[in-house]
Amino acid sequence: MSHVSEDRFDQLVSDERARDGATLNTWEIIAERAKEEGLIRDIPRLRWGSAPWTRAAAAVVMLAGGVAIGRWMPASGGSEAPVAAATPAPAPARFTTVEEAWATLDRASAEYQSASAFLAANNSGAASVADSVSIYRNRLAALEQLMNATATARENAPRDPVINQYYLAALGAREATFQQLGAVRPANLRLKGF
Amino acid sequence: MLIDQLDLRRAIAGDERALQRLWSQHAPHIDAVVRRLCGDPELAADVSQEVWMQIFRALPSYRGDSQFGTWAHRIAVNRTLNALRKIRRLAKLEVDIEDDSALVEPDTDRTFIAESIEQAMTRLSPGARAVFVLHDIEGYTHGEIGAELGITPGGSKSQLFKARAKLRKLLAHLVDDPNSVAGKVHVARV
Repeated sequence: MSHVSEDRFDQLVSDERARDGATLNTWEIIAERAKEEGLIRDIPRLRWGSAPWTRAAAAVVMLAGGVAIGRWMPASGGSEAPVAAATPAPAPARFTTVEEAWATLDRASAEYQSASAFLAANNSGAASVADSVSIYRNRLAALEQLMNATATARENAPRDPVINQYYLAALGAREATFQQLGAVRPANLRLKGF
Repeated sequence: MLIDQLDLRRAIAGDERALQRLWSQHAPHIDAVVRRLCGDPELAADVSQEVWMQIFRALPSYRGDSQFGTWAHRIAVNRTLNALRKIRRLAKLEVDIEDDSALVEPDTDRTFIAESIEQAMTRLSPGARAVFVLHDIEGYTHGEIGAELGITPGGSKSQLFKARAKLRKLLAHLVDDPNSVAGKVHVARV
C-alpha cells in the first residue's frame, strides 16, 4: 500500500492546524446549560454596586489605575508626569440615578482601558531605553505583588466585587505594562523575570 | 490578545452578553480541538458543552499569566481527555501502548476513502488520535502528552510514529496538489 508523500502530509497537517471550523453548539444551547448551572445570572447592576462604599472603591480603582500606568511618558524625559486621570471626579450631583452613574463608570472604564492600550501601542518615544525597561520592570514587580495579594483574597471571596475590581485593574495594568515593556526593550534582551 | 477586562469582569459576574462574546471569540478554536480529540461529532458536541461550562466556572481563577485563548485551550484539552477516559475510549492506549491493534479498524481500511486528514483521523484509535492531535496539531511535547495521557514520552513517540504512518496510508490517494485547502482536498478514488 502506498503512502501520501511526507511533504504533502506535512502540508495537510499544517492546513489542519490552521483550520478552526464551525462551532459544535449554538450559543442558545451553551447559554441554557450555563443558566441551569447558575453561571448566567440576571444580576441587576445595583446588586454589586448599590452600597456607597463599593462605588467609592470602584472610583479609587480607576484613579489608582490612572496613577499607576496612565500617563507616564518617556518622551518627557522619563519623569512621572502628573496624572490627568487623577483629577477629582465630577460632583455626584451630576447624576440623577444610580443607573446613570454606573453607565458613566462603565464607559469611563472602557475608555480607560482603550487609552491604556493605545499608550501601550504608541508610547515609543523613550529618551532612555535602559531607564524605561527598569521602570517597567519595577512596575511589573509591584503589579505582580498586587495581583498575588488580590488573588489570595479572591480565593476566600471569589464573588466579592470590590476585590474583583482591584484584581482586574491590576491585571489590565500588568498587560498594558507588558506591552509597553515589549515596545521599548532591545531585541536581544529577553525578559526572564522582574 | 488583550482580553477586554470589562467583559471579563462582567462574565465573572454572570452577564450573558459578556459570556457570549467570550464564547463567540474563542469557540471556533476551542471546539476544533474538542472535535479532533473526540472524533465523533455527537460526542464532541456534548463534550464541548462540558468544556465551556468548565471555562465559565474557572473564569475567576484566570490570572492573565497566559493569553485567554491559551488558558481556555488547556481547560478544553484536560476536560476532553477526562471525558474520553470516563467512557473508556482512552483505556486501551493507557493499558497497552504498544498494542498495534489499537491503532485502527483494519477490516474496513481498504474500502475507506479519506477526503481530509480530519476524516482520516477518525480511523485512529482514540488514544493514537489524542497523541497525534496533541503533538502535530496542538504542539504539545511528548513529555506533556505523557503527563496528560498517563503514558511515557517514549510511548507517545511510538504512537505518533504509527499514527503518522497509518494516516499517510489512509491519505495515499490524495492528489499532490499544494494549492488545495484543508477540508477541500482533491481525491483520486482508486
